[in-house]
Amino acid sequence: MKPTPLWPWLRGTCAMARVGVAATLSARTVLLGRALFYLLVMTVLTRFWTTVAHETSAAGITLPAGILAYVAITEWIALSVPAIHLRLEDDIRFGAVEAHLLRPIPYLLGQIGQTIGAMLVRLALLSPGLGVVLLTGESMLPPITAWLSIIALAVLGGTVHILLIALAGLSAFWVRRTVAAYLVMQKAIFLLGGLFIPVTFYPDWLARFARGSPFAASLYWPAIVVLQPDQSTVVMAFLAVFAWIVALSLLCAAIWHAGLHRLLTQGI
Amino acid sequence: MLLYIAEIVAAIRISLADRTNFTVLFSGMVLNNGFVLLMWFMFFAGFRSVHGWQRADMALQIGILAITFGAATVFAGGYRDMAAAILRGDLDARLTQPSAVLPRLLAQESGPHGWGDILVGVLLLAFAAALRWQDLPALPFILAGSLAIFIASGVLFSSLAFWAGGARSFARDLVEFILLFGSWPGSIWSGATRLVVYTLLPAGFVVVLPVHFLRAPSLVEGGLLMAAALTYAALAWAAFTTGLRRYRGA
Repeated sequence: MKPTPLWPWLRGTCAMARVGVAATLSARTVLLGRALFYLLVMTVLTRFWTTVAHETSAAGITLPAGILAYVAITEWIALSVPAIHLRLEDDIRFGAVEAHLLRPIPYLLGQIGQTIGAMLVRLALLSPGLGVVLLTGESMLPPITAWLSIIALAVLGGTVHILLIALAGLSAFWVRRTVAAYLVMQKAIFLLGGLFIPVTFYPDWLARFARGSPFAASLYWPAIVVLQPDQSTVVMAFLAVFAWIVALSLLCAAIWHAGLHRLLTQGI
Repeated sequence: MLLYIAEIVAAIRISLADRTNFTVLFSGMVLNNGFVLLMWFMFFAGFRSVHGWQRADMALQIGILAITFGAATVFAGGYRDMAAAILRGDLDARLTQPSAVLPRLLAQESGPHGWGDILVGVLLLAFAAALRWQDLPALPFILAGSLAIFIASGVLFSSLAFWAGGARSFARDLVEFILLFGSWPGSIWSGATRLVVYTLLPAGFVVVLPVHFLRAPSLVEGGLLMAAALTYAALAWAAFTTGLRRYRGA
């Protein structure tokens, strides 16, 4: 059996990530627009949670003091993830994949690498906005040391997010448009990932399910550290994101091979 | 107009031809809406109201949004990928033809998933939105207004592709922001955020104003909705034709 050329693949993926960084940096107007929209979304969410906090809760729910800091981080990650499913859909539908098959690194790995590069630029660009939201909010912030974990978890959580969206994009091998798969994935990430509120506020059965899902690894686990910066939460968060990166990578690879087999034997 | 109808009918027939594709996309959208509804129904089980906005108002709002998005996807599905079509140079071939470019771009695709949204929207309006019989005559009016503003916004955002290379993802994001903002209780908007949802991202005109109009019909709000629909349509037309002129000259 031919050994997997891991080192050339890794180098190739890093090169693709650099391409992603350069391509994202070249679209300065769009980057600026994205930063403004992050601030806009946070303004809206601040407005929403402030309104909700003033309402009487029939179920006796008390919102955590740092809810806005939590939401600022989940939105920071969610808005930094590029739409990899569109690229996959285009390349699969229009037959561009075939040309990539001759290249030394697998097409999917290259696309994921490029998307991670683009995500890193967006995370960096939106971070001043995150800083503004956190500093102007009334939330108690965790110690500086916790922020290193939060930043690392945001990058890893964003990678989980990219893999989830890539799964939706790979549905292009079987359906013409990936929009339905993408929207289902997006809403699952919003709901089960705890985009607007920590999943622990859900009914017990749903909270347990959500915490163990890849969607929580994408948003909840990186962001919950801002509310609970204790060691056990940080360790749990890293374990969750690493485990899901491995599991989703394997799943993406399996679906890619199944799709490619279909493409090469039957066409689209 | 006849050409548009002929093209969109053909696009719809193509979208329905592959049954598996249709079934997957249709049920996917129903599931997608199910997630949104589950989220809000859980929310309103805890917080009974948000600034006076209750579960029935939310159901009405999401119902209008689902029908609007679904109808736009089915009957003018080309708006979603218009920025990509511009950036790919798809307009070159269309420019050699005698008919108007914009209607043909809008009619070039019909998304089968839109039917799933329409179904969910109709069910919500019928069973969860607390509508009365006397509200029914106003429904076509507000849905037409909402649809016109939504499609016009999509065209407006996609027209950015005439000027900015990275506009594809951004234009889609802006449309999704309308959907996202349209999915939050309409009562939370005030001050600067109210200005945004009634200008740049017109979720206010697409869903909030229609909800207000259905709950308490007034000539002022009806006139406002109609004026907004005409204004956004004019802006979209102006942005597209200006961009097309630039594209021709490039």
